[in-house]
Amino acid sequence: MAEEARLWLERIRALPLRRRVRLMNVCGGHERSITMAGLRAALPRDVELIPGPGCPVCICPEEDVYEAIQVALHEDVTLVAFGDMLRVPVNVPRGEARSLEQAKAAGADIRPIASPQEAAAIASSNPGRRVVFFAAGFETTMAPVASLLVQGAPENLLMLLSGRLTWPAVAMLLDSGTPGFDGLIAPGHVATVMGPEEWQFVVDRHGLPAAIAGFTPASLLAAMYSTLRQLLDGRRFLDNCYPEVVRPGGNPTARRHLAEAMEVVDAAWRGIGVIPASGYALRPALAARDARRVFPSYADASRKRAGEMPPGCDCAKVVLGRIYPNECRLYGKACTPRTPVGPCMVSDEGACRIWWSGGVRDNPAA
Amino acid sequence: MCLGIPMKVLEVDGFNARCEAKGIEREVSLFMLQDEPVEPGDHVMVHVGYALQKMTEEEARSAWEMYDLMLAAADA
Repeated sequence: MAEEARLWLERIRALPLRRRVRLMNVCGGHERSITMAGLRAALPRDVELIPGPGCPVCICPEEDVYEAIQVALHEDVTLVAFGDMLRVPVNVPRGEARSLEQAKAAGADIRPIASPQEAAAIASSNPGRRVVFFAAGFETTMAPVASLLVQGAPENLLMLLSGRLTWPAVAMLLDSGTPGFDGLIAPGHVATVMGPEEWQFVVDRHGLPAAIAGFTPASLLAAMYSTLRQLLDGRRFLDNCYPEVVRPGGNPTARRHLAEAMEVVDAAWRGIGVIPASGYALRPALAARDARRVFPSYADASRKRAGEMPPGCDCAKVVLGRIYPNECRLYGKACTPRTPVGPCMVSDEGACRIWWSGGVRDNPAA
Repeated sequence: MCLGIPMKVLEVDGFNARCEAKGIEREVSLFMLQDEPVEPGDHVMVHVGYALQKMTEEEARSAWEMYDLMLAAADA
């Protein structure tokens, strides 16, 4: 661990904590750094680090993944999606494709991509074919998608959008009355795009300390120190421990692109339900590109467990920080990265997958 | 997906740049940084092929220390 991180750790260890303190992060990248750097074991016993709703793949509505599978199977299209999305399971009767990967094996033209520009390039090189970009992600991913649309994408590129805003999920937890945390480590790259101000409500409305963190152990530990110190001192403010790239107002160009291409709508989160003003939809001016308008809906009201997590899977509780990944009965038993049952074990940003990669093998629930 | 990768700008061509990190070169869009001057030698935080923000070389280096750790863990 770098010298700077050691210093922050020493400062945290010197704090006179007299009770258990729970700090929540809402970013899969944060959770990955925390786990890989072994920060949980290095911190004082009284500091609990809880992974919260920080994985866009995990909370992408099951109905949206189902829709993408059906569009790929039944429409004459090429469907592209970020690689993680291909293995996310939906609830369908035995024998039907339960993921995009299985739909691909069944003959659908589905390709993994790593960037919106790749989606545009595939559309450009197949001008006679409609290419559907199934785009799930938080603000960090939606801004590039919006940028692509504002800059001008090939006409045969359609969007099946499943974008979400991060702060409304935290607001929902805080409004629930049982947030389950005492301080917030706010997501660095979301704040890079949208500005730190979005997180001010945690302090102003709920009286909790909050600090924006980057992705190095030093930046994360600095943010933890800030929130712990605020709790001890009885002061509350929004700290910015990632000033390298998080500036007041965020990235104004990116925000302009988002506002131009997309509008904010009420949206469903898998395993959680509808959160007001938490999703992105294409603006009506882009209706011709909107796969949700261009194709008929494949939603099937009679489908069992539509919208839910798979049977036995506790991803919904993991995403909300109600339990730790290894407190799910399936963790490391029926559910591993090789044979994932729930989305949290599929995605590189899912807490279950991250804990497994980090070597956590015990399961107190099993 | 929110994990950005710090990259060094090698060449700028309009809204596109050729960037490098760890010996790997990629085409990166500067469209979200169009209101800021970006030049060869600058460092940018890249996410899904788009530069989100400029950063200093030192900041890029400290971020890479973390990723080295993760890559080592992933290889183990």
